[in-house]
Amino acid sequence: MIDFTFTEEQELFQKAAREFAETKIAPHVPEMEENDETWDPVIKELCEGEMMAITIPEEYGGLGLGYTVRMIALEEIARVSVATAMMMQVGGLGIDPIILFGTDEQKQKYLPGLASGEHFATVAVTEPTGGSDPKGCRTTYRKENGSYVLNGRKCFITNSHIADVQVVLAMDEDNPEAYSTFILEKGMEGFEPTHIEHKIGMRGCNTGEIEMKDCEVPAENLLGPEGKGMRVSMTAISECGRAGMIGCALGLQAACLEAAVKFANERILYGKPISKLQAQQFKIADIKIDLEAGRLLGYRASATHDKGERAGNEYAVAKYFTTEAAQRAAKIAADMHGGYGCMEEYAVTRYVRDSFVLGPSAGTSDIMKVIVSRWALS
Amino acid sequence: MLRIVVCVKAVPEPKAAEDIKIDPVTKSLARMEVPLVINPLDRNALEAALLIKEHDEAHITVISMGPPPAGDIVKECLALGADHGILLSDPAFAGADAFATAYTLAIAIKKIGQQDLVLCGRASSDGATEWVGPELAVFLDLPVVTMVREFAETENATWQVKADIEHGYRIVQVQLPAVFTVTQDLNVPRTLSFSGIIKSRKKEITTWSLEDLAIPANSVGLEGSPTIVSKLEYVESKRECQIIDGTLEEKVEQLISKLIEAGAI
Amino acid sequence: MIGDDQDLLWVIAEQAGGEILPVCLELIGHARKLAIDLGARVEVILLGSKIDHLAGRLISAGADLVYLGNAPDFEPYQPEIFTESITSLAMRNRPQVILIGSTFMGRELAPLLAAKLGTGLTAHCTNLVWGENRLLEQQIPAYGGIMTIVCPEKRPQIATVARGVFPIPDLEEERTGEIVPVEIPQGLETRVKTLKIVHSEPEGVPLETAPLVVAGGAGAGSFEGWQEIQELADTLKAAFGSTRPAVDEGWTDLETMIGQSGKMVNPEVYIGIGLSGEQQHMVGISGAKTMIAINNDPKAPVFDQVDYGIIADCRVFVPALVRKLKELRESSGSAAHDV
Repeated sequence: MIDFTFTEEQELFQKAAREFAETKIAPHVPEMEENDETWDPVIKELCEGEMMAITIPEEYGGLGLGYTVRMIALEEIARVSVATAMMMQVGGLGIDPIILFGTDEQKQKYLPGLASGEHFATVAVTEPTGGSDPKGCRTTYRKENGSYVLNGRKCFITNSHIADVQVVLAMDEDNPEAYSTFILEKGMEGFEPTHIEHKIGMRGCNTGEIEMKDCEVPAENLLGPEGKGMRVSMTAISECGRAGMIGCALGLQAACLEAAVKFANERILYGKPISKLQAQQFKIADIKIDLEAGRLLGYRASATHDKGERAGNEYAVAKYFTTEAAQRAAKIAADMHGGYGCMEEYAVTRYVRDSFVLGPSAGTSDIMKVIVSRWALS
Repeated sequence: MLRIVVCVKAVPEPKAAEDIKIDPVTKSLARMEVPLVINPLDRNALEAALLIKEHDEAHITVISMGPPPAGDIVKECLALGADHGILLSDPAFAGADAFATAYTLAIAIKKIGQQDLVLCGRASSDGATEWVGPELAVFLDLPVVTMVREFAETENATWQVKADIEHGYRIVQVQLPAVFTVTQDLNVPRTLSFSGIIKSRKKEITTWSLEDLAIPANSVGLEGSPTIVSKLEYVESKRECQIIDGTLEEKVEQLISKLIEAGAI
Repeated sequence: MIGDDQDLLWVIAEQAGGEILPVCLELIGHARKLAIDLGARVEVILLGSKIDHLAGRLISAGADLVYLGNAPDFEPYQPEIFTESITSLAMRNRPQVILIGSTFMGRELAPLLAAKLGTGLTAHCTNLVWGENRLLEQQIPAYGGIMTIVCPEKRPQIATVARGVFPIPDLEEERTGEIVPVEIPQGLETRVKTLKIVHSEPEGVPLETAPLVVAGGAGAGSFEGWQEIQELADTLKAAFGSTRPAVDEGWTDLETMIGQSGKMVNPEVYIGIGLSGEQQHMVGISGAKTMIAINNDPKAPVFDQVDYGIIADCRVFVPALVRKLKELRESSGSAAHDV
């Protein structure tokens, strides 16, 4: 028999995450909307609130709670601020390769600081020459005097300016078939964040570019086997990364549903609330059906992941579904608001803008379909 | 080591509770499913205990009287940092007024053993009688100070506290052990933390029924309550509301003329 | 002295700054009415220091007898001394009913007495009438209606009542009554002692006596919204009140709260802004002549309880109203008149 409910403990985590989101994150949202580069307060809260420790094993100072709890936390935080949830999700994504492929020394060196929130992580794969095609990567590395020297540039990197631990994919200068993944640290000579992007949505979420110019990286910062780095980066993205986007999308859907219901109950037309009109009821039903489905897909994937099984395919289905559904939900909710759905003071307009950024993150919807068709055809 | 008991009550979530009303047609209570939360002022009481525990050795027992769903809020208190939870749950306890509630809590607290501090919120959001704290103190034969807004001096066994009065406060000296009821000015209650939830896995909740307390059934619940509800009647409003309509300017002007008519301006 | 067959209705009075608190006079007045129905006597207990002159006032208000504790140790209020004095008087004289004002002192003293005397207690009653068999029907607002609470077996029947629920009685100077001195209890071990009282000046127009009251609720939305409503109150020279949800938000404190467990107001005009009309609040507004509500939710229960309603977002309406009021004031060239 399948039990589709959270355990008592998961419900407590959900309550805790909701309290955290409402008391510690929500107050910063207006400022983040106003000034796109105001992420410090929420990053501080995420770190102090133990949110970055969720997936890190207890022996390294983490909470060892797994990916379902992570998704629960992301959903609650995204309900209040998708921008914050995004930075949290990519922070977790930067941690994952170290957990999966790090040596004991690397885990000892990085994980405790990442768990305590002293340090923040990210993963950097995408470049102007390819994101959907990670092999479009032109950042190169070469061996020199026992270290590696990296050259290149990554774009659309979340936490580009915040993260002091960055997991970077590069191509062997001499062999375009070989990739390696490296752990770069803020302050390394020749490595710096450069341009900050300003997105129409998820404002306050740090997205930007990083540049490596003859950046010398010590040999012990190679993550995973040399030449097999594609697998190191992509495993994390295909599971932890997709899972994170699902959490963000579910939270946004939940927020859209709440906004739609509230407005429908309060808006009086023809002498009664529009929630009495069947056309509006059906719109709410659309959002609700998608949210119910999305939750089941997402938590099914995370439960599979928590059991220690591969979950990339299940995550791809859920990522596709929830990020597309969130975009629909935001549009429907905005439409229901009529003219108010164009006005900045109404949160629903922020939801529309935020929803745009969900699609291309951690793999576009088209790429998700590539994965899923491969799964079906195999 | 300070032994602290915090009394907490599970109450309907205050904003949702506004919706529980008498149905004007059936004239009876239209009960709804409203989520239960920890009574807000009891969170201040628990926070006071947790702050003490941060500086000194202390053992915090949380106690609540209520049906089984109240167990969830006791669990929450353990996740917030209390050490042990006690749930007083028995159909016999139902229908208790403040007197019977305080009596039952007092028997349970005596059963736990000697305490240094008993803390509770000044009032509950769904009853707001403010009686349980002082009555508890009488049944425990302990001194009590109500409406504590600050613990000023807590060095030895004699404390000094600031308690609210109409306009201002009084400084009260109390010998421990003592009962304090606290206001929302005392502190800002912490929120749940993930590590607190993990730590609470090892903590226990003990459930006590009437039998465990070894007191007669007529001293608790409805039977043990000196007061009872004899009637609940729906009341018609005596006013007919006239809605002032129009544009913003028109509404403002009409309101101003009504105020002038009524002699307010 | 006291006839064994005569019922006793007691009021625990409170004094401050050499004056009896108005709520006590109101309770004596109501006790008088209850006493007439039953052929009972009204007796009042007052404890304090240098309060000789107050006994007569209590008698003028309707007391047949005043138990007067007049000694330095009765000032300020000390819970154990007061509880012991009143409890031993109550055990000796067995009153039917004890009424106490819902003051901060009353809210501590009443439950101490009830527990010591092993009897029931009802908080913040909005009416007290006789039922059958000398049972006092203690009414409180609940769930949108009126709940009646009784204490069928235990005696005395104790109730607390807020100021403004009952009217201030006419004082009859010629009334006579007994005065019985109360001594400080001897050999009482005390574990709690009020060391000092620090008074703060109440801000603004006092709510209970204000002719014009502006009250704000959680619908203010934010502290900025709250301040806008306060500005309206200032502009109108009105007393400013709040609801429990607004207090819970932290925008104001309990002293401004109007409601069953807060303050009762009795203005000529009441304007409620951004509040839903929750019963616990509305019951604090007794007999306002004109009641007005501003709320953006047309389904808000407040619109069933007022004379005029405006459906508007207070964030938009209130500043517009303030602007217009200021314009009017400037053009009329004189300050707004006090009512």
